Amino acid sequence: MGLINLRLLCGLLLLILSAAAAAADFKVTDTRLRLLPGDLPAAGYFKLSNISGGPVSLVGAESPAFGHITMHKSIQDNGVARMEPVPRLEVAPGTSVEFSPGGYHLMLMKRQSPIDLGDEVTVTLVFADGQRFPIIFEAVSPASL
Amino acid sequence: MSKRLFLMLSVLFMAGCGEQSWQTTDISGAMPELKFDLTDENGRTVSADDYRGKPTLLFFGFTNCPDVCPTTLAQLASASQQLDEELREDLQVLFVSVDPERDSPQTLRRYTDVFGPQFIGLTGDKAALDALTRRYSTTYSYGEEDQSGNYDVSHSGAVFVFNRHGDVRLLIRATDPMDAVAADLRRLFKDGA
Repeated sequence: MGLINLRLLCGLLLLILSAAAAAADFKVTDTRLRLLPGDLPAAGYFKLSNISGGPVSLVGAESPAFGHITMHKSIQDNGVARMEPVPRLEVAPGTSVEFSPGGYHLMLMKRQSPIDLGDEVTVTLVFADGQRFPIIFEAVSPASL
Repeated sequence: MSKRLFLMLSVLFMAGCGEQSWQTTDISGAMPELKFDLTDENGRTVSADDYRGKPTLLFFGFTNCPDVCPTTLAQLASASQQLDEELREDLQVLFVSVDPERDSPQTLRRYTDVFGPQFIGLTGDKAALDALTRRYSTTYSYGEEDQSGNYDVSHSGAVFVFNRHGDVRLLIRATDPMDAVAADLRRLFKDGA
């Protein structure tokens, strides 16, 4: 019984410590998920600030709510718009990167269950060093900017 | 003296009003009048003549576009919200899908409805889309399919603006501020030109 309690305590402590570590490394603001009708892909926008002492590399995102998520950048080339996959995005210490309309964005495909406007969706950012950072998006109308 | 100065300033001010320039890009006469043969979001065969009589915005895109297309349409919706209701209802936005493989009339209708009643989805076969994009000196192409069958489609990033007679007037770019777009739309209505 005592052993189990100790294990539980250790586990909890570890969880708190890792959460604290994650919380100390990043700050995420301006989160929103622009939801298109049906199963059309949604766009995830946020601002990621690296407040740790070293560089971090964002390599992707995962969510139980979507079957497939990719990082993209929209590009206007000679008046023609297209998307470019972004396999890895470095964020230097003390700087931030903005995922915003017309630039970097998460493309969230294959909804696993229906999502309504106003719903909260958790998406976990995945970093090259194995760190994972969950963020909560609110589903908003595509007509909102 | 001061009276003369006042007069001069008044004349200058009034001249300024009369010669107010467009805030987006004026392309009057640089491209041909609006003309196309496409299928609308209700599955009907339509031509540009069906849309004469209202100032018209033309944008090429595809519904599986998560970022640029909804952003552009949301900006147009927002700019049109700045107009008086009467003007807003008189405006029409034609969203031409260059991805007919995935964009059925039904998909287009559900998509454009999100942005407002003045947004109308159109598409067509390759020949019709080639003719229309070439007419406005733009292009579209398909990227490679990923493992889940998704592919990107490149398309014009700008919006073509026509007056109610179908004459080309303006090019709105993604970088144009919303107030500039709204001001130009207002002028387009006022001029009746």
